[in-house]
Amino acid sequence: MTRYIVQRMVGMLVVVLLVLTIAFVIVRLAPGDPAALMLGPEATPAEAAELRERLGLNEPIPIQYLSFVGNALRGDLGTSIFFNQPVTRVLLARAEPTVYLALFSLIIALIIAVPIGIYAAYRRGSWLDQTAISTAMLAASVPSFWTGLMFQRYLATELGWFPAAGYGGPDADFWVRMGHLVLPSIVLGIVNSALILRFTRASMLDVLGEDYVRTARSKGMTEWRVVLRHALKNAAIPIITVIGLTFALLVSGAVVTERVFNIPGMGNLVVSAVLRRDYPVIQGTLIVVATLYVFINLLTDLLYLLVDKRVRY
Amino acid sequence: MSISRTWMTSAAAIAIGLSAYSVPAWADNTLDVAIIGEADTLDPMLSTKDVVSIVTQHFVETLYTFDANWNVAPLLAVDLPEISDDGRTYRIALRQGITFHDGSSMDSADVVASLQRWTEMASRGKAVADRIEAIEAVDANTVEIRMTEPYSPLLSLLAFSNSAAAIYPEEVLGEALSAIVGTGPYKIIEHVPDQYLQLGRFEGYQARDEEPNGPAGGRLQLADEIRFIPVPDPNTRVEGLLSGQYDFADGLPAESYARIAESEAAEPVLLRPFGWPIFAINHKDGLLTDLNVRKALQAALPHDDMMFAAFGDDNFFIVDAPMYPEGWTWRNDAGTELYNQNDQARAAELLDAAGYEGTPLRILTSRQYEFHFKMAEVAKMALEAAGFAVQMDVVDWATLGQRRNDPALWDIYITHSPFLPEPALTSLYSATSRLGWAEPDKEATLAAFTTATDQAEREALFADLQKAVFEDVGFIKIGGFNALQGQRAGMTGVNPSPWPYFWNAKAE
Repeated sequence: MTRYIVQRMVGMLVVVLLVLTIAFVIVRLAPGDPAALMLGPEATPAEAAELRERLGLNEPIPIQYLSFVGNALRGDLGTSIFFNQPVTRVLLARAEPTVYLALFSLIIALIIAVPIGIYAAYRRGSWLDQTAISTAMLAASVPSFWTGLMFQRYLATELGWFPAAGYGGPDADFWVRMGHLVLPSIVLGIVNSALILRFTRASMLDVLGEDYVRTARSKGMTEWRVVLRHALKNAAIPIITVIGLTFALLVSGAVVTERVFNIPGMGNLVVSAVLRRDYPVIQGTLIVVATLYVFINLLTDLLYLLVDKRVRY
Repeated sequence: MSISRTWMTSAAAIAIGLSAYSVPAWADNTLDVAIIGEADTLDPMLSTKDVVSIVTQHFVETLYTFDANWNVAPLLAVDLPEISDDGRTYRIALRQGITFHDGSSMDSADVVASLQRWTEMASRGKAVADRIEAIEAVDANTVEIRMTEPYSPLLSLLAFSNSAAAIYPEEVLGEALSAIVGTGPYKIIEHVPDQYLQLGRFEGYQARDEEPNGPAGGRLQLADEIRFIPVPDPNTRVEGLLSGQYDFADGLPAESYARIAESEAAEPVLLRPFGWPIFAINHKDGLLTDLNVRKALQAALPHDDMMFAAFGDDNFFIVDAPMYPEGWTWRNDAGTELYNQNDQARAAELLDAAGYEGTPLRILTSRQYEFHFKMAEVAKMALEAAGFAVQMDVVDWATLGQRRNDPALWDIYITHSPFLPEPALTSLYSATSRLGWAEPDKEATLAAFTTATDQAEREALFADLQKAVFEDVGFIKIGGFNALQGQRAGMTGVNPSPWPYFWNAKAE
């Protein structure tokens, strides 16, 4: 077990190093100059060159790379060119909305997907099954920005049930901030429920045909107990996997939804950082996201241990 | 933990969240202003971006400003300067009893140090630095600027909020400011990047006694707080305005005009005219260094089609040749017969005369501003009809900003600008700009224009300059366009401006 975790950690480090390198290279392959952008339209090329010098952008690329990797391994992701703040601080400030948004969206997705998925599998071929499957297809096919725009326009602007955008002003307390996340969470929850629903249904279908389910029934157990205790528990592994992936995806920033609802999270940050050519922020976000991804994957794998006693590492 | 228990916990969490949610109670008399993005810096000396000007003018002030008709008017100076007979010495009396946000009072040492920094750090300041012989304190409340030659745009430069000659306390100055401390009617309370910039009324502010007149005159500090909220997505700005979340929103898409006009919550603010799209021409390198090719380009362009394609609705554009719109003192008709020729046959003749052999004309443009791209698309068709080979280099704005600095990479790049109060504020006319337009007769006219001090004489010289723009095809003005902003229904005190200000604004 310990050996397994150590092995996985080493693997994680390799993945993160790879991401780090790719991020560094890709970001620098893109044309565009942060200095010229910051100075505005009337600035001369000479001024841009001067600012590049001050920002350390004129160092040879290999030297920039080495200092970047060295610092990153010590937890220093550099200084944002645009904000003139450490990247770690910039990212930390964006973590709260993104993490809560991811959490709420996942909860909403689970509330929609799991019961319907189980019931659809249980009543396979019924009208509810058919409706659930086609609705899930529809929800997965409609782009989240469209759903976001429609919900924003009709539920927020026209009906006034939710704030239209943002994350609250200076005097917003925790609950007001969370209130701003309700509508975007519903949008993301609906969009992300489709995959979980389909996995739950498929996985339950497999299990419900198994011998032990028949045995459980023949012992005279209630249907409720058979489905939730015996079937669901055994169907859980693929469902947990897809939930883990969905959560990782959501935490890495729901780029479009954050943009539409002007939520100051990681997704919004990374789009702005690309437009501003804020190299350290782009790199920093990619590293954090990659680390989160492998970490959540590891957690998911460890979760199997709890769910299925047969799993051994 | 079983999965079913997770559901219950989750459902409970959501229920708590929903029940506790309530509409935020904003402090009364607070203005929420949605701007197009985070300001790059809070020091207006360091940037020529409009969003920086919009935000910073509330807490940082300059010696001069503009009135509603874009005449220079005093702000931190008592009055317009005394200018010596040879036009080279400006003596500026400073208002007394002005305090900075840190409580210190403003004197000539602060002003001299700030203006020095402006000539060293600001794009516009550096551009005049070699014409400035000295900036000196005469006494505690008077400063003197001595020029090497008369330079009439100086006051406009000192008044402009963009690459601004901002006045800071001497103590905070440095390459970067140690703190953003100004004399403006509002001061910074809190800045959370990408979320809000919270400004509060500065109680120590000394408003001017004159009636408000554009940015000039009294700044009344009607709102207790102003909050600038960066909202990069234009559609989100519209929804936030219509839902009543924002009191004012800048940079709205033209398509939203009807919805805002019909709404009870908000009303459109049409900034007519806002500015002009420009085809900047490369005079340093490549195809367009040949006058005949430039003339062919000018002859071929269908300005009315380009403007229609770009803006769609007559409410939002005008096909108009002069460099300044109707109602401005700089407006004249010199050279305008060469505008909007839409004559591809003549362009073909000019290309023949130039011995054109099919080298592609490279148009560098970006879809960040969709109207740039649409104009380029229409131009391409007309140019190809005239015999040009056209290569469209469509990149994002950051890339364009970099590539245009290298004359080897482009023939035309597309940009736009608001109409600026003084022609010399735009670098397009200058030989030192990235266009490198250095035609000798134009240079002589420009030199005469910037040194002349008599307004009538300056207007006549500007007519000559405009004539040169057309006859030598220095750059191409495509037309005039309007901008859409929006405000809460019944809001008063905001004048339409490319750099809207809110110290006299009051929402219902």
